[in-house]
Amino acid sequence: MAEFSAEVFQNEFLSDGATDVHAVVSVTCAGAGAAGTAGPAGPGGAAEIVAVDTSGSMQGRNMEAAKHAAAVAVDQIPDGTLFAIVGGSHVATRIFPYPNARVPMVAMEPGARAEARRAIATMSASGGTAISTWLRLADELFATAPVANKHLILLTDGKNESEPSAHLDQMIANVTGRFQCDARGVGDRWVVGELRKISTALLGTVDLIARPEDIAEDFAALVRKSAARGVAAVDLRVWAPQGAQVLFVRQVAPEVDDLTARRTEVNPLTGAYPTGAWADETREYHVAVRVPAKPVGSEQLAARVQVAVDGDVTAAGLVKAKWSDDSTLTARISPEVAHYTGQAELASAIQEGLAAKAAGDEATATVKLGRAVQLAAETGNDEATSRLRKIVDVENEAEGTVRLRRNAAKLDEMALDTASTKTTRVRRA
Amino acid sequence: MSADDSSLVRCPRCGENGAPGARFCENCGTPLGAPAPDAGAPSEVTLELAPTVVDPDPATGEASNQRPCTACGGTIAPDGYCADCGAPGLSERDHFEERPAGWVAGVCDRGVRHARNEDAMALAAGDSFAALVVCDGVSSAPDSDVASLAASRAARDVLVAYGPQGSSTVQGATSRRVAGWTDAMVAASRAAGQAVRGAAEQLAATKGKDVADDPPSCTFVAAVVDGDVLVAGWLGDSRVYWLPDDGQAEQLSVDDSWAQEMIAAGVPRAQAESSPQAHAITRWLGPDAPDTDARCAATVPTGPGWLLVCSDGLWNYCSDPHAMSELVRRYATTDDPLSTAAALVRWANAQGGRDNITAALARVSPAVTGQR
Repeated sequence: MAEFSAEVFQNEFLSDGATDVHAVVSVTCAGAGAAGTAGPAGPGGAAEIVAVDTSGSMQGRNMEAAKHAAAVAVDQIPDGTLFAIVGGSHVATRIFPYPNARVPMVAMEPGARAEARRAIATMSASGGTAISTWLRLADELFATAPVANKHLILLTDGKNESEPSAHLDQMIANVTGRFQCDARGVGDRWVVGELRKISTALLGTVDLIARPEDIAEDFAALVRKSAARGVAAVDLRVWAPQGAQVLFVRQVAPEVDDLTARRTEVNPLTGAYPTGAWADETREYHVAVRVPAKPVGSEQLAARVQVAVDGDVTAAGLVKAKWSDDSTLTARISPEVAHYTGQAELASAIQEGLAAKAAGDEATATVKLGRAVQLAAETGNDEATSRLRKIVDVENEAEGTVRLRRNAAKLDEMALDTASTKTTRVRRA
Repeated sequence: MSADDSSLVRCPRCGENGAPGARFCENCGTPLGAPAPDAGAPSEVTLELAPTVVDPDPATGEASNQRPCTACGGTIAPDGYCADCGAPGLSERDHFEERPAGWVAGVCDRGVRHARNEDAMALAAGDSFAALVVCDGVSSAPDSDVASLAASRAARDVLVAYGPQGSSTVQGATSRRVAGWTDAMVAASRAAGQAVRGAAEQLAATKGKDVADDPPSCTFVAAVVDGDVLVAGWLGDSRVYWLPDDGQAEQLSVDDSWAQEMIAAGVPRAQAESSPQAHAITRWLGPDAPDTDARCAATVPTGPGWLLVCSDGLWNYCSDPHAMSELVRRYATTDDPLSTAAALVRWANAQGGRDNITAALARVSPAVTGQR
């Protein structure tokens, strides 16, 4: 049985008249077990769909690599997990189970695995790209699976060019909350923003696979990760007192993901934010609440941050406010809050800088990416630092003064963009 | 609180024979026949507070989390904070209310700044009789919260014994009753002083503290309404105000404080009250107290009004009798003393709540005063 725990990091002391309470809540899941351990059917089960781009642009190395990767994924999907393979172009096709099969998804077993590999080998590239049709087919297939844990792996190499972007937006909205999706782009002709829209709404990740031969390894890792998520449908709940305002709820580790707009009301004082399925892992959340100021000496609970599994609260952390006129207490900023505030700003500085660069606004791009270099150094995010240095020449890291590199590779920019939301954890003494 | 025991009792402390049914020794003020309080457990737990009726949780039998939030009236969640407003749930000792009669009630509250509520309050009332006792623990001394509660209850019980249902009822014409209540007040303050010493000895015995070095101590203030007579008694700087609906508001008690002594010696009030030592009290209850005889004052009201007994947690923000009268009247939207006392406590907390706050009120009206 999975056990959740929540730990709160904050400076609870507020100066006289202060109203904003910030805390980082670290949520850890232990004993999650494997997805589908309760059998192929039932709420403990799992369903996995791999959707591979089969548009004309995939022709050649990409298609062969994608087919290989899909076969590797099939090898990794544990026996008992319901699965299907989808080929996507301007239309979506069920590759396996075969289109004429009477079942939409089948439970993995050695015979099905071998047959699925044969089906994958028949895939060929032609047509355009309309990702909304892939999501719709995946949604239809998942709808037949009586399991709680549903996961889609989506691979494309190009832009969603065969339909208006509003179609994709509408489809994302339609399927949000029904399954999770990790989106992968191969090569440098796909659009990071497009896949990020999908993966963010569907509680997954977006990543760049620079070389086709790396697809298989990535797919295998995604399947293993998904299979380890033994706890489905976990909500983060935030209670704030009467008269208070939740300023934001943001996942800050392992990746930055703003949950604020995904609130659904549990009761007038409590909102639920979906976090998807959990493996044995730790995620951290930055919660900010504005409360009316109280007299010095007062204590007040500013937020209850709870973990709810299937609607039952299994762990909770208390965010407090204590007003004090002792400036040695109130001036301290929690190291966790400071670190993740910097990491979140780093993510937006990178994304805004790259967007400005793509739009030809070099002045803004230079300022934003310079700030990103500064923040990456301050927060010890070495990975971001090394990725940034492929895009800009750093003059002064501490001051954040940089020059845009003229010969920066598109792939390096995309790699920086996709990795922008990855955070380093705060070093705790 | 009624004297239903009619047998002769001998004082366990001084050996004096008490009158039949007497609850307190006339000689030394020791409670008679009452079981000694449990000495073993920590002070916060052993205090048994009667005034607020709390329904225990049928599942656990625990009542501690069932008290409504003192800030908004909401429910205190199991995590110790209000489920609605997030205010910390206060223990019974940190915030309690008493309402012995419809015209007499009080609220005793920790305030904002202090970690403990060292104020205490004990009230009793009948149709035309009320006793209101407030003791303010001296926070420099540990366990003053235990001492102040023991003192206030001991004094209240003595005053009740002199009341209409008691064993030594004060009777007679107005002047005789003023004299009788002055004696009763002194007996009450002695009993309160004895209770503080008793608490100190018990704490020393159980906790091994050197009581002589840092003994618990508290102020004492009491007021009695007996028909048409109001009598106040005090040691220290907790106060009694008489706030008539018509006429001049007055402070019946006179602080036993450094500031007051300076004023008496001719120092201007503003200068005396702004001195750093202004709040140093010159008389108190405790093992190191030079004497424990309350000073007394009496008045005979000519019309209805509010009798207020309070600690400095309230009057610090509103010392002048006239200003206090306006404050009470601002919150006395009805004749309900409990809602008014609660509003006064909230007001003091809103001013900063720098000290524990106790406000006890009696609505003295001609209908009440005329009954005897």
